[in-house]
Amino acid sequence: MIEYLLLTLGVLIMIFGAIGILRFPDVYTRLHAATKCDTGGAMNILLALAISIEAPLLTKLKLLVLAFLIALINPMISHAIARGAYKSGIKPQTPVVDMYAWDNP
Amino acid sequence: MVEENILVDPFGWGVLILIGTSLLLTYRVLFGPTLADRVVGLNTITTKLVVIIAILAALRREFMLIDLAIVLLMVNTVGALIIAKYLERRGKND
Amino acid sequence: MSRRTLYLRQRLETIKERTLFEINVSQELPNWEKIVITWVALFIFWIVISGNTRTENIIMGAIATLITASFMKDLLTDDIRYRGHLIEKILSFAFLHAPQYIFIMIFRLIESNFKVAKHALLMDINPGIVKIKTNLHSDTGITILANSITLTPGTLTIDVDKKLGEAYLYVHWIDVKTLNRDKAGEMIKGDLEEWLKKIFW
Repeated sequence: MIEYLLLTLGVLIMIFGAIGILRFPDVYTRLHAATKCDTGGAMNILLALAISIEAPLLTKLKLLVLAFLIALINPMISHAIARGAYKSGIKPQTPVVDMYAWDNP
Repeated sequence: MVEENILVDPFGWGVLILIGTSLLLTYRVLFGPTLADRVVGLNTITTKLVVIIAILAALRREFMLIDLAIVLLMVNTVGALIIAKYLERRGKND
Repeated sequence: MSRRTLYLRQRLETIKERTLFEINVSQELPNWEKIVITWVALFIFWIVISGNTRTENIIMGAIATLITASFMKDLLTDDIRYRGHLIEKILSFAFLHAPQYIFIMIFRLIESNFKVAKHALLMDINPGIVKIKTNLHSDTGITILANSITLTPGTLTIDVDKKLGEAYLYVHWIDVKTLNRDKAGEMIKGDLEEWLKKIFW
């Protein structure tokens, strides 16, 4: 039962992440939606899969290793893309404050 | 015993919904204003694809495909890092 | 007079930080502990990934990961500062510190997912880039702190600025509440930094 609850939660998080990527105004806010919703949704679905399948223990552990690698790799990629986008000249739209531009003119 | 129709399982419907969200994100890949938007869209689609491969491998009971999902994740990492470095150096030369 | 006491207090704090830095540098792990910690991590990874538990596979994996660990001992364990015996280190990390961290991060991750869903539906965003200071100095600690900040609600790390002895993080905040550096750092980092300072320096 709990695996279907986790699956529903993960799929809903993925759908809201897609809506966020389509609606947000600039790259950085889109990266917020991409990173958090992808990591949370993928970890929920893989956890549900690891609970529900009938397989030897090492296969379930392999699914958990896949979830761990997603949680390790996704924030790193988002950091690299945000830094590259800022260095290539894309300014954030309507910022309250931009302390990164103060220090790197 | 392997079912031919994957839609008898709730995870099959999950695969269908994930494919639907990937098709929604294709708009951001095709019409994104800058290159960084396209990279964000591609990265998200690849993570969804990793999850889809893991679910299909578990449903069809061919567990070696999970290794293929791990390899796809790592290749996606290297590709995204290379594109990020390219963005950074292109801004410096302009 | 007040100026002189202020100067003396600043000087004392500088000397204290310098002493702490020297103590941290002199507290590196010995070589064999580095090799054993790397070997344990690589061996667990080998067993899980290869997926069969026959005897010759396990012996082969032990030899291969021991050779790899003896070359790569500085890569994973160069920044760990944690006193105690080796077995105590491994056991307390596996059963005390890692579950604590996972327990903190699961609730933060779910909260951040709901917050992104709320922002995507209502579009009440108020973005900005703020600069916060961390008390960590090592590369591994700053990396784990930056990745954790990216997964906590409403924040995204953009860049790291590392001077001698001090490290600053530039954080894109989707709903800016304060501009003060200390308050912003306290709101963004939370209790993750105290957890990280137990293991890394």
